[in-house]
Amino acid sequence: MPQQQTLQPDDTSGTVVKLKGKPLFYYLIKQWPFHLMVLPSLVFLIIFAYLPMGGLVMAFQDYKPWLGLTGSEWVGFDQFRYLFEREDSLQVIWNTLIIAIFKMVLNLFAPFVFAILLNEIRKQLVKRFVQTLVYLPHFLSWVILGGILTDLLSTEGGLVNRLLTGVFGIQPIFFLGNGDWFRFTVILSDVWKEFGFGTVVFLAALANVNPSLYEAAEVDGASRWKQTLHITVPSMIPIAIVVGTLALGNVLNAGFDQIFNLYNSLVYAKGDIIDTFVYRTAILNGEMGFGTAIGLFKSVISFILVVISYRLAYKLANYRIF
Amino acid sequence: MNTKSKKRFTFTLCMLLIVSAIVGCSNSGNKAEPSNTANGNAAVGNEENPYKEKYDPPVTISTAWGVDPALTFREGETIENNVATKWALDTLGIKVDSLWSVTDTNGAFATKMRLAMSSGQKMPDIAVVNDKLLAQDLIDSGMFQDAGALFDKYAGEKWKAAMNLDPGVWNAYVNDGKRMGIPLLDYAYNSDYLLWIRQDWLDKLNLQAPKTIAELEAVMEAFKNNNPQGLAPDKVVPLSVGFKTSMNTWMGDPSWVFGAYGTLPSQWNLAADGTLEYGSTNAGIKQGLIKLKEWRDKGYIPQEAALWDENKTSEPAVAGTAGIIPGPYWMSGWPLLDTAKNVEGAVWKPYAIPTGEDGTAMRHGTHFVNGVILINKDMKNPEAFFTYENYLFENLADPQEGSPFELGAFEGYDYALDASGNPLYLDDVPGGAITAPLRYFIVRDGARIPDAQFKALLNLAEGKEATTYREKEVIAQYGPETALAATVVMQQEDISKKDMFVGPSTKTMKSRMDYLKKIEAQTFNEIIYGAKPAEAFDEFVKSWKSSGGDDITKEVNEWYSNVAK
Repeated sequence: MPQQQTLQPDDTSGTVVKLKGKPLFYYLIKQWPFHLMVLPSLVFLIIFAYLPMGGLVMAFQDYKPWLGLTGSEWVGFDQFRYLFEREDSLQVIWNTLIIAIFKMVLNLFAPFVFAILLNEIRKQLVKRFVQTLVYLPHFLSWVILGGILTDLLSTEGGLVNRLLTGVFGIQPIFFLGNGDWFRFTVILSDVWKEFGFGTVVFLAALANVNPSLYEAAEVDGASRWKQTLHITVPSMIPIAIVVGTLALGNVLNAGFDQIFNLYNSLVYAKGDIIDTFVYRTAILNGEMGFGTAIGLFKSVISFILVVISYRLAYKLANYRIF
Repeated sequence: MNTKSKKRFTFTLCMLLIVSAIVGCSNSGNKAEPSNTANGNAAVGNEENPYKEKYDPPVTISTAWGVDPALTFREGETIENNVATKWALDTLGIKVDSLWSVTDTNGAFATKMRLAMSSGQKMPDIAVVNDKLLAQDLIDSGMFQDAGALFDKYAGEKWKAAMNLDPGVWNAYVNDGKRMGIPLLDYAYNSDYLLWIRQDWLDKLNLQAPKTIAELEAVMEAFKNNNPQGLAPDKVVPLSVGFKTSMNTWMGDPSWVFGAYGTLPSQWNLAADGTLEYGSTNAGIKQGLIKLKEWRDKGYIPQEAALWDENKTSEPAVAGTAGIIPGPYWMSGWPLLDTAKNVEGAVWKPYAIPTGEDGTAMRHGTHFVNGVILINKDMKNPEAFFTYENYLFENLADPQEGSPFELGAFEGYDYALDASGNPLYLDDVPGGAITAPLRYFIVRDGARIPDAQFKALLNLAEGKEATTYREKEVIAQYGPETALAATVVMQQEDISKKDMFVGPSTKTMKSRMDYLKKIEAQTFNEIIYGAKPAEAFDEFVKSWKSSGGDDITKEVNEWYSNVAK
């Protein structure tokens, strides 16, 4: 449709050549109402996302509030060196990775499966009810859930342990006091809390699948299971890649508020993560330089991972997000 | 109105606005002048003492407020302008000028103060700070002056006497031999603890209150396996303690168990050779850990003590399933008052901390400092602040008969008078009482003499009639059991050991202390839970020392030898 092309000149490569001939601010002036509409979010971004990046210099300083960013002493990479010199730093990074990766994978897998199952329910009322019910926990804070979990999982009369001993005859398990069980509890409770919310995205993807595909499959004699396998799952893969790629940016976030409300000194070896570590060393001691250094370190790692996964997603699944 | 007169009207209005703006400006200009001349006067009259009982013309003290969100005000009053600021101006000729105020939730005051500091805003003349880190930052910033020298020069007798109760209170704010801040005094012994024991259980079992650790074990055994309330052994918590936050805390505190072996964990104790030693590395800890492990195995302490924080330890105590809980003297008011509601006939009585085999006992002490008062380097009349605070120490801290604060802080706020002149309190005050008008003063709570409240409690324990305001206040707030608990606390005054290190974090502490605390908590809990043998303690001490502990000990002792002079 040639007419449309002239209406939207930026979309075609042909007009790019044309663009070169125009002065720099030609389109800015010509389309000023659109640029004006973008302005607030641009200002917002500059003020709240780009300007604070200047504070990153703190990571290389022995920051003192009264000396400010310009007056504080430069210490080079000392803050980073300190992060890796601590006897337990590798352990803390390892804990973070294990907990975060398990959470990431399960939080991708569980909603994926659950959305497919939920989609098979015929009765709309039941479907809506279940959907609401499973995403409610997402809105509870870990401060509250931490207290509830501690009571539920108690070895002295906690509901879960009473069930385990009463029904299965197992010795009470000290979920929050044993390192391995602690990780298990943290990962599982996080998945329980978040999978309902994740399901919403996948349900939206399912609603977009072209019904004619199913009709065609039915004509071809495909069973429900075959339909799921060959139509539903492939059509959900792109959105799963988007969700997975975005989640990868959080690979060094194992969930501060959850761990902070559940951990104790018995599980330091397997439950202490970067964020709780930063809270104790940087926030409680007012070491802003150190806190910033770790924040920068996490951001750089996350950035690298997001770039890699983005490239992989494009290469393997031929899918582009941006 | 025709258009012409309309225009004229608008014109007049504009002129009015302009004129008023000009007048407003010149007014503020005028305001500045008298204060200049006042300064000139002060400079001329330098030979005579600038300290006065009342200032005429009034002088200004500027300050900044972190307002407690629970603080209430009368209609039309704010922290900047209220009965206390009026009182200061009328009685002392001191004008309180608020630079800014902020509702102090989530450390908002400290944040705002830090921002003001880093953006170079004007600092208040008087800053009252209770965040230790912020206080240290402010002192290090060099914007505040040697408050100790001013204190020596201007502070009144009562204030000096209160400060002399423990000369160590200054230690936290000594910088290069100068006392950079005036410690904000609070009541003493507030977190010194004792054992609260269920007297009704003891009586039914015909047991005496335990005096030693061995006797205590017998009592716990009886509480658990022969429970007078008929509870099954696994439902009883004979001794409610928790380790989640620390081994050295306030409610459900286990540190006295180590005290029986001659040390207190997680604080700096004075060793026999006069140096400071970190309590957690003392050999006595090992025995204490073995004892706690034994108690946990026998079910004397909660199986999940490692997950219990202070408030959690009070839960079984309030529910009536715990027999003993260590805690401060005021626990009779909160939370133990509620036990009798859950279990009929439940009675908690305070008892002394049990001793070890050789008669040793220790408990952690209470610093009666609750923040610091900093005085700006550029403050024009620092003596005025002392006029203000001296007056409060003289009249408000322990009001006797005839004091203007005899009945309370302000009439119509925390108390009112009925027709015949008798005081009314709380809900009887018209419009409801303002519970804490003391928070309106520049210095939080006005003025507190550390031992005033305890003296009042001890007087009451002796059966003395409540006469002074302070005595009446404690009766109204706590009840008679508290007075008894106060005497128990005082009986064992000599076993109360304060954390001797109160200075700013040392260099090595900043980088190593978190790791050291982490391995400490980990090792202690793992030994108590049997995940590691008791010998792990010796390894812990070794790695504590080599991982920076030795350097920290050296730095702490350097600091101590400087302030102990």
